[in-house]
Amino acid sequence: MTELLEGARLVAAPDVLIAILASAIYGLVVGSLPGLSATMATALLVPVTFWLSPIAAIATIITASAMAIFSGDIPGCLLRIPGTPASAAYTNEAYALTRKGQAELALGAGLWFSAIGGIVGTLSLVLMAPLLAEVALSFSTYEYFWLAFLGLMCATLVARSSPIKAIASMLLGLLIACIGMENPAGTPRFTFGVPDLLGGIEVIPALVGVFAVSEVMRAMVTAEPPKLPRRKFGSILANQWTLTKKYQWPMWRGNVIGIIIGVLPGAGADMAAWVSYATSKKFSKEPEKFGTGHPEGLVEASASNNASLASGWVPSLLFGIPGDTITAIAIGVLYMKGLNPGPTLFTENARSMYALYIIFILANIIMIPLGIMMIRMASLVLRAPRAGIMPLILLLCAVGSFATGNNLFAVLLVGLFGILGFVMERNGYPVAALVLGIVMGSMVEQNFITSLIKSDGDVMPFIERPVSSVLAALTFGALLWPLGVWIWNRTQGRRLPASGAAE
Amino acid sequence: MQISDRVSGGVLVVLGSLAAWGGSRLPAVPGQDVGPAAFPMLIGSGLIGCGVLIALGIGRSFEAPEEPKAPHPWWYGLRALVPFALLLFYMLASEPLGFLLTAAVIVFAAALALGARLSLAVPLALVAPPLMHLAFYKLLRVPLPEGLLAAPW
Repeated sequence: MTELLEGARLVAAPDVLIAILASAIYGLVVGSLPGLSATMATALLVPVTFWLSPIAAIATIITASAMAIFSGDIPGCLLRIPGTPASAAYTNEAYALTRKGQAELALGAGLWFSAIGGIVGTLSLVLMAPLLAEVALSFSTYEYFWLAFLGLMCATLVARSSPIKAIASMLLGLLIACIGMENPAGTPRFTFGVPDLLGGIEVIPALVGVFAVSEVMRAMVTAEPPKLPRRKFGSILANQWTLTKKYQWPMWRGNVIGIIIGVLPGAGADMAAWVSYATSKKFSKEPEKFGTGHPEGLVEASASNNASLASGWVPSLLFGIPGDTITAIAIGVLYMKGLNPGPTLFTENARSMYALYIIFILANIIMIPLGIMMIRMASLVLRAPRAGIMPLILLLCAVGSFATGNNLFAVLLVGLFGILGFVMERNGYPVAALVLGIVMGSMVEQNFITSLIKSDGDVMPFIERPVSSVLAALTFGALLWPLGVWIWNRTQGRRLPASGAAE
Repeated sequence: MQISDRVSGGVLVVLGSLAAWGGSRLPAVPGQDVGPAAFPMLIGSGLIGCGVLIALGIGRSFEAPEEPKAPHPWWYGLRALVPFALLLFYMLASEPLGFLLTAAVIVFAAALALGARLSLAVPLALVAPPLMHLAFYKLLRVPLPEGLLAAPW
């Protein structure tokens, strides 16, 4: 109890409150701009977190990502362009509602159920994390290896693309992580005599390049999205309570699915939204209404993607294994601030954990008033010319990556990763898998090599221990899943739509 | 930048072989069976396998069909390299020119490349760099280079 109060005191510090408010507005604006994703919003925040206190730094990441995931619904609903990939699953549905003149209902559902999903997800984090921490204390390098590997396999499943290309992207990420001397033997690898490469590839320049610079590059070769006509909105939250009562069951299902997918290492908000929308349609009493402006799927998927955001912190905090690309960034910030992820975080640093929970709840509560303001100003924000925003993003990429180490080499890295991300995206190679490979490469290798040395090159201990055998089974399940889908499609003699890969 | 799967798969095979070959030449740790070479060789062979499968077109059925694109002249795709060129410019020019001038050039060039009119590009290039400098230099204490034009603060 004293620790809860201590946590509340940490959050009530003026710098933390200012950080929450400022990053909330930032997240709302960036998330609502098409092409600027929640991951990118978070990645560009990292240089700023260097100069904040640990709690304030975590607060900016949590708040900005939660806001950006919600506000990605706004352009999806009004322009049929998802602001973030996590909104893509139900963009058509929301836009259909807008065409029926019910934009308020669609936006309100996005806001209301995002907030509920965020809060339920946080509660699951509060309940689950300490319980799992007990289990995690007995984990050895074998379990950590499988967990990290499972995370990587999940990252390849999330991608709505060819699973082979996803695995190739992931391997490429692992290969990039090999660069430098950060390996168990301390041997410089693939440095080609460049001293800047000795320390390895920093994650932040890679992230900024892949998610932000490549977006600027894409803007160069695509037409500008249409401008939003000026419009007045009625009451945003008017019918949400009726919807909550009517679709109570789908809402809870969305929350639960979101939580489960969030907890899986490697799978995040995008996958949660797709899966929830699909389940909603499958179990609905009126599946024929889906796609024509029916709020049911919207309710479930909106709750789901925000719920997954909170529960995605479970593997990150416990094992240092990112739940998605956003928590991949968060883990970097946690290490930087001395809050090294691991089960002991919950016993030795309980007040910081309570502060983190409080920030989550707070962020989801202020999401409602701020979100309403954002919706009312959306026509103003979305009118900002792309030719004015993208140059600023590019400049931020340059300065931000320079700021991470006061090193100009990072600026070159950002540019190179921008090209890599752009080319990969264009050819159907999912970039999220690449990023998770880079983030987790040294962890996978460390645990793999250490385990092999411990067992004298024997693979049996990898599958003999009870927890590691379960994790191994899950990993191979994820690996063989696409093959199963493929065979099933063949035997059924028909082809599923592309979404089949994500289900 | 559309590349056929045969080419991108082939590139992966070459990259994988180089990784495996480079990895195999790494010095082993005396007295240990597994050393720094194991992981790159494993990844390299994985990449070779994936590359071959991609080049053969396996797994294509999972991909979303591509949207038809408007025809563009061949140089249109090269515009995508503008951001990279500007970042390269930042790396080379920020020390001698200073942050303010470099940033102004980048913002101006990027805005024009995206089709902004001069009435937008010029004010943006004049206003944004000082604001960015203020935020990063004053608030975040990033040592941005002064170069030819020092900021008044």
